[in-house]
Amino acid sequence: MKTARVIYEDGSHKWIAIVRDPNRPDYLIDTNEYLVVDNDDAILLDPGGSEIFPAVFSALSTEFDPRRISKLFASHQDPDIISSLSLWLEFNPQIKCYVSWLWSSFVPHFGGDRDTFVTMPDGGVDIVVGGQRLQAIPAHYLHSSGNFHLYDPKAKILFSGDVGAALLPPGEDTLFVEDFNRHIRHAEGFHRRWMGSEKAKRDWCSRVSQLDIEMMCPQHGAIYRGEQVRRFIDWFAQLEIGVVKG
Amino acid sequence: MAGMSQETGQELRRIVRTNEEIKRVVATAFKINLMAMNAIFLAKRAGQSALGFGVLSNELRRFAIDLQKQMSLLREMTYGSVATVTAMVKQARLNRVLERARKESSGIGRSLIDEFLRTRHNVAFSRHNEQINSLNRRLSQMIADTTQLVELGSVLARSAKIEAAYGGAFSGALMQVSSDFERTIDAIQRSLESLNKQQDANP
Repeated sequence: MKTARVIYEDGSHKWIAIVRDPNRPDYLIDTNEYLVVDNDDAILLDPGGSEIFPAVFSALSTEFDPRRISKLFASHQDPDIISSLSLWLEFNPQIKCYVSWLWSSFVPHFGGDRDTFVTMPDGGVDIVVGGQRLQAIPAHYLHSSGNFHLYDPKAKILFSGDVGAALLPPGEDTLFVEDFNRHIRHAEGFHRRWMGSEKAKRDWCSRVSQLDIEMMCPQHGAIYRGEQVRRFIDWFAQLEIGVVKG
Repeated sequence: MAGMSQETGQELRRIVRTNEEIKRVVATAFKINLMAMNAIFLAKRAGQSALGFGVLSNELRRFAIDLQKQMSLLREMTYGSVATVTAMVKQARLNRVLERARKESSGIGRSLIDEFLRTRHNVAFSRHNEQINSLNRRLSQMIADTTQLVELGSVLARSAKIEAAYGGAFSGALMQVSSDFERTIDAIQRSLESLNKQQDANP
């Protein structure tokens, strides 16, 4: 079973990270899911694949009533992001799934109907959760051609999808990045191969540099905090991407 | 739960087999239609000496058209079965995942899943099961109707063979055509027998 860890809390505004499943079969990539709670409302970011639904659902329900999740945010269309959609819909058929317009006719293959999806235009959109306004930030081509991250100006947290992701070996899979230099080695190969557009990368670095970020939460690997966020953006800006090794 | 998904998997494979057999009969029914057209022309050429054969050829053509219609109804029905079984397979998979979630959960999570499995899921599954059973009953009935129709075709083919003997100079050609009819209708009968066996094997 995964663990639900509260990574930010201010009154009724909360970020819960659902992470690290020791029973996860090794043929499935490890993913992080994040629940942003504001009062009685919540949005689940990149809810994950259907195979890990039991682990996510059980961990999440230790902290929050799953029926009160009103929104899902899919950073892009991959199965490890949103193939559990039909299962979440079973518990709340009214749930809304925010997804790039580009994938609005692809993601319904995982479930849902015309009323399920709220399509996000390329420029991004604000998403209101409880009394809090969150911002969907464009991150197209990083790696998916229709890709968004989510910024919470109150918590100063950026959910960065696959950007910042690291494939951590056992023993080094801490929730937060401990040693940036050591950690980033596990992120390098992933970013070189998966991120395909130099221009998109530069745009993203310039866009997020203007945000006040205290935590950057990727979908795989550990969370960057404080100065590590700036270090990551600088590292990424310099990294040669779109490279097939060998 | 695993048994449920095994059953739906078997049901899906059975429907695929049924559909393949139906496709075979449809192709043969089309062949009979063409054969009957040729037989009509041949009977016209043979004139007075093949009047009886001509009548039978017309009947065989009507039979071929009826058979094609029957087969297209059967195909529609199997398509409906595929849709229902696919929904059942999906439901069974969903059930499997939820059962795992139930085992891992405690507190509110567990009671939510318990309630869910007790009500909506099982209801949906039994509704699909009822649909499948009803489709199977209708399919069996339609196969029985088709078997009867094909028996009529078989009688017509045998009669055509007898009439061919009175075809004078065209007797050889008419005999050849009516033997072809007989063989083709035999093939359809074998396909229908196989369809029947598949239906009987259905629990």
